[in-house]
Amino acid sequence: MDQLQQLSGPIVVTLMLLFFGGSLYMSIRISRKRENADGYMTGGGKIGFGISAASMTATWIWASSMYASATSGFTYGISGPIHYGLWGALMILLIYPFGRRIRQVAPRAHTIAEVMFARHGRSSQLMLAGSNVLGSVISLTSNLIAGGALIDMLSPFTFTQGIIAIAAGVLLYTLWSGFRASVLTDFAQVVAMLGAVVIIIPVVFFAAGGPSLFETGAHNLTPQQQDFFSSDAFFNQGAPYIAAVLAYAIGNQTIAQRLFAVREDLIKKTFVTATVGYGATIIGVGMLGVLALYAGIQPLNDDVNNLIPQLAANYLPPVLLCVFFVMIIGSLSSTADADLTALASIMMADIYGQNIAGKKRANPQTMIWVGRITMIIATAAGLFFASSQFNILDLLVFVGALWGALVFPVISSFYWNRVTNLAFTAAVIAGLACFLPVRFEWIDLSGGIGIASDVLATIGIGVVLGLMAFGFFGRLVALVVGTVATLAAAPFAIGFLHTYPVLSGSLVAYAASTIVCVVLTMANTTRRFDFALIKERTGDFDTRDGGADASAGLAGPPGAAGASSLDDRLELANDGKDRA
Amino acid sequence: MTALLTLYVLIWPVIVLGVLAVIVRAFVKEWRQAKREGRSII
Repeated sequence: MDQLQQLSGPIVVTLMLLFFGGSLYMSIRISRKRENADGYMTGGGKIGFGISAASMTATWIWASSMYASATSGFTYGISGPIHYGLWGALMILLIYPFGRRIRQVAPRAHTIAEVMFARHGRSSQLMLAGSNVLGSVISLTSNLIAGGALIDMLSPFTFTQGIIAIAAGVLLYTLWSGFRASVLTDFAQVVAMLGAVVIIIPVVFFAAGGPSLFETGAHNLTPQQQDFFSSDAFFNQGAPYIAAVLAYAIGNQTIAQRLFAVREDLIKKTFVTATVGYGATIIGVGMLGVLALYAGIQPLNDDVNNLIPQLAANYLPPVLLCVFFVMIIGSLSSTADADLTALASIMMADIYGQNIAGKKRANPQTMIWVGRITMIIATAAGLFFASSQFNILDLLVFVGALWGALVFPVISSFYWNRVTNLAFTAAVIAGLACFLPVRFEWIDLSGGIGIASDVLATIGIGVVLGLMAFGFFGRLVALVVGTVATLAAAPFAIGFLHTYPVLSGSLVAYAASTIVCVVLTMANTTRRFDFALIKERTGDFDTRDGGADASAGLAGPPGAAGASSLDDRLELANDGKDRA
Repeated sequence: MTALLTLYVLIWPVIVLGVLAVIVRAFVKEWRQAKREGRSII
């Protein structure tokens, strides 16, 4: 198969105009001549369930996750999509108990990095902010690449024309109103995406042969691919992804931003709905990869990323091919606009608001322009990286590891009043230092070093499962789960895990950062942090009329009047002097 | 086995439809309420 069915140029232009024009129209409807800085970053922290659930779902369904799930189905067989989509969904679910705690201590914050500044000081904040800037630029680039490739494959337009059109479209509707535009358009995008999934999966299934395909095509699968409990799928896809789950949930600003945006009493409902929506959508799309495997389809140019467009072009009539096109454009746009607003909020709150101007002197109007200029620069950077075929994979791995090393220090900082800035920073550096040589196999892992790596990785298993348990069941259960998991895994994992460097790399990052953080925290016997300080140190930047919620004063600082004393205390925090 | 695999493939769009219905219903409710109160939904 060398030539795929394509959409004509006018149809693609019409679809793009309808999609981005509709998004722009929605954005204009809610725009204000003078936007509020806090609204630009988190929508004022009082968004309802419908929009926030739609936004969480839309943001986490990105084009790459659809392609990756189908690839997993094609590579690992019937369990493949589960090992991608289920753990990805768990990522959203896992943050909700932590999210409630984060909102409890910092109800009016905008970024996790901002909270870390209030908790520890500048180095912790910049570690989180830096990783988020990198992560969001990578995600933006990845979405542009996916969109460009789709347009190149399914239309007469080129890859470059595709990425420019998508970048311009997303920037246009997000630029003026920021996060408010992002979440509102997410609703329309999620309706388009989920609606398309509901139609496309059954249509492709029956067009490919229906139930009989499982009999006629069974010979195309290896025994591992036919096994729902495939160890191959678990160790190569599922397990590394589980380890990544917590890291992405805690480290990624696009999730944190929605956490700070949704009304506090709706956090659980929102995150549970998004978990189910994301999981079902991504696993469902992954089934296309399984069907391709049964049908004996070979990916075009041996590139598994071509599988989904290839199946769509093969089995869908022209009208549904248009629906498919909108589904992919919707998935990548909703994530790209979230990346833009995440970057904007980091530059506004963490860089300008707290490190350049200072919270007391930050000008809300300047903040908004910082956000808008950030979006323009980020879009240009994404276009540059996408068009220059820059290899972002290693960068993505590095960011994932950084987030992995951040998980325990960040979570413990919200619950344990003895964690210090030194413990936080040293833990993250130690996690990274252990991750790099293991993940990239810089050292020979056979022999003693391999065993040492395995011991750390086994502790990492306990840390990951313990943290998951901690979110839902508290400290005692977490300690039991972590200890039992480590001891139970040890006989099988030690001497074996180092043969899976992707998995081992993540696990040693968790273990090393946890051990260092715990040891240095236990060494702190005198200083105790008062979590009530975070609520005072974070809060609205913009108290002008028509902006933040009238209730803001109940939860956050009342305004400039109290800022002076707060800033004085922030100076102390920057020196690492927690309240004794 | 064929029936199970068919169910395994087709159950996901059904769940997606359910989630979509929940989200749309909530959005419409919030939109109407915002309209009644004369404020923006976001």
